[in-house]
Amino acid sequence: MMNTNVIVTENLSKTYGKPPLQVFALRQTNLYIKHGDYIAIIGPSGSGKSTLMNLLGCLDKPTTGKIFIEGHDVSTLNENELARIRREKIGFIFQKYNLIPTLNALENIELSMGFAGVDSQLRTEKAKKLLEMVDLSKRLTHKPSELSGGEQQRVAIARALANDPSIILADEPTGNVDTKSGENIMSILEEINREGETIIVVSHNMTIAQRAKRVLRIQDGVVTEEYV
Amino acid sequence: MFKDHVKLAIKNLQHRMSRSLLTLLGIAIGIMAIISLMALGEGMQQAVTGELSSLSDVIVVSTGGGFFSSFGSGGTPSEYFTDRDIATVERTQGVRDVSTQLSASAFAEYNGKKTLISLTGMDVMVMTLQYSNQRLESGDLLTENDQNQIMIGYGIAHDTFEADVSIGERITINGKKFFVSGIFAKQGMSGFSSDSLVLMNSRDFKKLTGQSNISIIYLRVNDVNEVEPIAARIQDAINQNHGRKDFARATTMTSILETVQSIIGILQLVLVAIASIALVVASIGIMNTMLTSVMERTREIGIMKAIGATNQNIMSIFIIEGMLVSSIGGIVGIVLGIFGSQGLTVILNNFMMMGGSSNLAPVITLISVVLAVTVSLIVGVLSSLYPAWKAARMSPIEAVRYE
Repeated sequence: MMNTNVIVTENLSKTYGKPPLQVFALRQTNLYIKHGDYIAIIGPSGSGKSTLMNLLGCLDKPTTGKIFIEGHDVSTLNENELARIRREKIGFIFQKYNLIPTLNALENIELSMGFAGVDSQLRTEKAKKLLEMVDLSKRLTHKPSELSGGEQQRVAIARALANDPSIILADEPTGNVDTKSGENIMSILEEINREGETIIVVSHNMTIAQRAKRVLRIQDGVVTEEYV
Repeated sequence: MFKDHVKLAIKNLQHRMSRSLLTLLGIAIGIMAIISLMALGEGMQQAVTGELSSLSDVIVVSTGGGFFSSFGSGGTPSEYFTDRDIATVERTQGVRDVSTQLSASAFAEYNGKKTLISLTGMDVMVMTLQYSNQRLESGDLLTENDQNQIMIGYGIAHDTFEADVSIGERITINGKKFFVSGIFAKQGMSGFSSDSLVLMNSRDFKKLTGQSNISIIYLRVNDVNEVEPIAARIQDAINQNHGRKDFARATTMTSILETVQSIIGILQLVLVAIASIALVVASIGIMNTMLTSVMERTREIGIMKAIGATNQNIMSIFIIEGMLVSSIGGIVGIVLGIFGSQGLTVILNNFMMMGGSSNLAPVITLISVVLAVTVSLIVGVLSSLYPAWKAARMSPIEAVRYE
């Protein structure tokens, strides 16, 4: 690979509204995130954390500036190309788990592989393996409503890994679970990181953030690296 | 991928079972209406065709305005065929069984009241041919050996004299007494009305009036395929006898059949058009349900997009959902329509005066079933198109937004 950076941003900005009522959610951000990095993004609410997360996750398009994911400029891609990047390169973990309520644990994981066009038999096999990895092999056919918060988040982690993404984007992954489950989830993420996966965790919990290799603080749309 | 979308759609429909069932019911009712009305129309078509095509070798020659204006109406035409005309018809090649209908005005007297009526005489064979399908209020059709007996229409029996006439009573016509042996049921406004008919066999007619005013000639042809050209030849020949182009008119059952069929066809179309309104309402129902579902599933749609679903994936999930509802509804509707058409037929046969077609049976054609399935699929696609498009346009950011 030409570039060992998995994500590079160039003067990345996001504004809402038009001058003079323009709001800068993110200003002129230049980031270099390497393969295998473990990054925490911290900041108070309204600081631009979600905006940065949405941009890095290809859920939103920048107003100006560029984002390169594995060397490809994604800031000019259309919706369907972005969808392809999301399913091939990025695994999302959300604070509220965001599993599909009508599908059971196995089907939730298979769904994202389905969008990627993976053969159905292969999907089931891999989904089972992933659920085993997060210690949920006894919960394969449980629906989200039949699982605890911690269990749902572990299904979500398994889902995020389903398409072998280059980056895992976790938005407050422990925000909705008890301390013990939170610890469990963080150790799974760190285990994945040790195996070489790039992890980006967004949190305002400092204890969570300090476990990361790098901490990026964001305030009023400006990102600064914090050295710990 | 398609299979996954179907699976997903089924799960979603199951999740909202009662709502899905109600939406489905709407489509089922619309399809039921279309299927049963089409079956009914087809049944009518076949009943009429069956009845008339047994008479496909018959030609009716009438004077003046044609078959419909004088056929059994009891009206007395002002012009009559001559013996020469009869001879012309009998001479025509390929013709057999020539018989005639005679008309004259006469005075009838019953219960002290005297009134002018128009009298119709015909051979019993022709009578049987023409009236065997007509409902009788009481009594029977005349038979070959009956003498001095008449059949009367509903209007003559009930509205002409001061008292009602019933079977076995006597009406004096031109001073001679006749027994009423049959009374036709009420016909109403139709062109075939027999309400003011006073019918006797041609022997009695000639004896009574001393005339043989032939208003209609019936005949059969040997070869059914020749019926049209023979009819044309006879019409021309008779018109030539009278030196006029519009004296006579020869009508075949085929041409009557075509007219009746096209009338039923139009009727059928109107019925189906009305039934289609139900289907339009049902499709609005699907659209409404789907829009609600899209709103409720904003988060879910966002999640699917975040994990890599394209706009097309989302659209296809919702369209398949709509198609599932409508096609299952369509199948249920077809089944209900098969029963519904039976029910409708019973009602029609019991409560309406269907004249000769009282044994109407619904006919479900393959075409109507295929049409129903196709229409319901199209309805499913069309009514879910807008909700699906709305869903596809949703932003994936919704999914990651804090609440």
